[in-house]
Amino acid sequence: MRAYPYPRPTGEVTARVTAVRLRGPGDSREQLDSKAHSVVDQVVALGMAERADWRTARLSLGVTVPVRELDRKGHWSDVAVVAVLTEGATNARTVSRLQPAAEASGEWVGEIELDRDDHLDRASLVVYVVATVGGVSGRIIACTEREWLIDMTADAPRRDRELDVTAVSFARGAEWLRDFRDAPWVVDTSGRIPAVRLNSDFEGLMRLVEAEGTKTEKVFGRLLMAQVCADAWVAVFHTAIGDLEIEDDGTPLFPADWRGAVLREMLPDVLPGRSEEDALREVHRRRIGEGSWTDLQPRIQYAAARRAEVPKELADSVRDIARLDQETPA
Amino acid sequence: MTSRPEHLPEQLALLSDVHAAEHLTAGVLEGREDIPSIALNKVAEPMPSDDPRWRLHRVRDLIDDALSRFRGERPTAADAWLAPRLHETLRMTRKEAADKQFWTYLAVGVAPDYVVWRHLSDPHRSDSRARVARDRFVGPHYKQAFARLWWAAELFRDGSDYRPAVATCGSQDMLNSALRLDVVDHRPTALALVGLLERGTVRTGREVNALTSAVNAAAATLMYDVLAPDAERDGEPLRDWIAGAGSALPSPRDQLPEGPEEQPAQPEAVEILVGHFAELFAEAPVRGRAPHEDE
Repeated sequence: MRAYPYPRPTGEVTARVTAVRLRGPGDSREQLDSKAHSVVDQVVALGMAERADWRTARLSLGVTVPVRELDRKGHWSDVAVVAVLTEGATNARTVSRLQPAAEASGEWVGEIELDRDDHLDRASLVVYVVATVGGVSGRIIACTEREWLIDMTADAPRRDRELDVTAVSFARGAEWLRDFRDAPWVVDTSGRIPAVRLNSDFEGLMRLVEAEGTKTEKVFGRLLMAQVCADAWVAVFHTAIGDLEIEDDGTPLFPADWRGAVLREMLPDVLPGRSEEDALREVHRRRIGEGSWTDLQPRIQYAAARRAEVPKELADSVRDIARLDQETPA
Repeated sequence: MTSRPEHLPEQLALLSDVHAAEHLTAGVLEGREDIPSIALNKVAEPMPSDDPRWRLHRVRDLIDDALSRFRGERPTAADAWLAPRLHETLRMTRKEAADKQFWTYLAVGVAPDYVVWRHLSDPHRSDSRARVARDRFVGPHYKQAFARLWWAAELFRDGSDYRPAVATCGSQDMLNSALRLDVVDHRPTALALVGLLERGTVRTGREVNALTSAVNAAAATLMYDVLAPDAERDGEPLRDWIAGAGSALPSPRDQLPEGPEEQPAQPEAVEILVGHFAELFAEAPVRGRAPHEDE
C-alpha cells in the first residue's frame, strides 16, 4: 500500500469501453462489433475490424466514480475524470477529459481516439480522477484498479495471450531457419510477440498438429502441442529475464512489452508468495550469478508447463487412450 | 577501427537480436574488427514494403556527412546535428520506429563504423580496453545509437520545429536522463524540461539529473496533462509528410530541416510547467549542492 501526502477516496473507480468506432481513408466508418470488447477481460480486440485499412479508433467510455464519498468528505474540488491511453513501445500517450453524464450520479462519459500509426501491439487505458487537494491542483486522487488493454491485432478480446504458432518450411524459409532444418519446431522470440515455427518439412508433423488424422493421432497431436507450448514458455521466460533493463541502483524493471506480461504471469509460479517486484529482483539476482540459477530451472519448467496446460492435456490424453483401448477389441 | 561496410544493398532491412548477436563479437565491440557485410545481409529480413523511405543510401550519406563534419570533435557533439536530420530522412510512424529490428540493422548492417566512432569513447569503469556497450547496437530506444536520436527528435520536437530536440541532444545529461522517462511522452512536459535547460535554470549534469528525477517523482501524484493540456494529436500531417518522402530533397546539412506540420504545443501550457518544474527543482536535492544554498 502506497502512502500519499494528501487524502484519497477509498471507493473504487471502474471504466467500461461501451463502443468502438473506426475511421479509415475517405471518411469510411465502421462500428466495431460489441463482441470485440470484453468487459470481463477488459480487452478491446481491434483485429476484429471488418475493414483492414482503418486509421483511427474512437473508444466510447463510461466511468463510475465514488461520487458520494467525493461529495461527503469535501477534501476535493475541481474534480476531473481523465482517460489516459499509453503504449510503452511507441511512447504514445493520449489523454481525454470525460464529462459527468448526469448531475451527481457518479457516471462520467466521453471518448478517446487512438491513431493506428502510434501503436504497435497493445495500448493500455487507465482512467484517473484528478482534483485540487489542499490548494494543490492536478492531484491524482484515484484510478482504475485494472487497465483496459486495446489490442491492435487480436481477433478475440482475451487478456491472456496465445502463442503465435505458424507452419513454415525450414528448408525453403528464412535463411536462419535453414540451420534448424532437422528440428520439428523452433521458438522465435525476436519479434513483436513470441512465435512457434513448426517445420512443415518434418514428415507427419502437420498431420499430427492439425488434428486431421485418426483418434490416436489426435490425442498425440494435442499432447505434442502442449509440449511445444511448454517449450515455448520456457524460451520466452529466458528471453524476457535475459533482456531486463536495470536501474542505476540495480533494481530490474519489468519490460513494457510482452516480456513484461510473461514475467508477471510466470513469476508467481516461479517464486510463489512474493510480490512481483521482489520475485523479479530475486530471479534477476540468481541469473547474474548471485544465488543459484540452476535450482530455479525446475520452477521455471513448472511455471511453463502450467501455462501450457501440460498436466491437464496429459491427464485428458491418458483418459482418451484408455477409452480407445476399450473400444479396440483385444 | 571498424570500417564502413563493404557491401551495402539498395534498401534498408530488419535484423533480429539473434542474428545481431552472432556478429557483435568482442572484436567488433572493441572496434578492432569489421562485420562481414555479405553474410549479414543474407540473414537480414527485407522491409515489409518497398517504399522510397527505405533507400539505404539516403541515410548512409547523412551518416557519412556527420562523420566528416565531426571527425575532429568530440563525438557527442554530432548528436544534436544528426538527430533532427535522421528523423527527417527516415520519415517513420511511431509504430514503425518501435520495431527494434529496424534500428539493429541500421547499427549493425549500415553504420557499425559510426556506432563505434560515436560510442567507443564512453567512459569505462575498470577494464583497460575501450569497448562499445552492446546496447548501443541492440538496446532499448533510449540507448541504441540511432533509435535514441530518432526518438529524441520525435519526443522533443514541437510540431515541425526541431529546435527543442536540438537543445535536448546538445546536453548528454538531458538526453540520457530524460529520454528514458515516461513523463516526456507528454509533450508540454518534454518542452518544459528543455525550456529550463535553455534558460540556464539547470546547467550541470547533476542539476539536470535532479530536475528530471524530481519531475518524474512528482508525476506519481500530479497529472501534468491536466495542469498543462497538450493540443490534440492529428495523424494527417504526419501521413502527408511521410507520403512526401519519395520526392523530398536530402535533409539540409547547414540549416535545420522541418518536421511534419503538426500543431505545436500551447506556449501557455509549456510555461505553466516551466514555472512548476522550476519550483520542484528549487526544492530538489542536487548532489554537491548544499541544502538551501540558493536562499
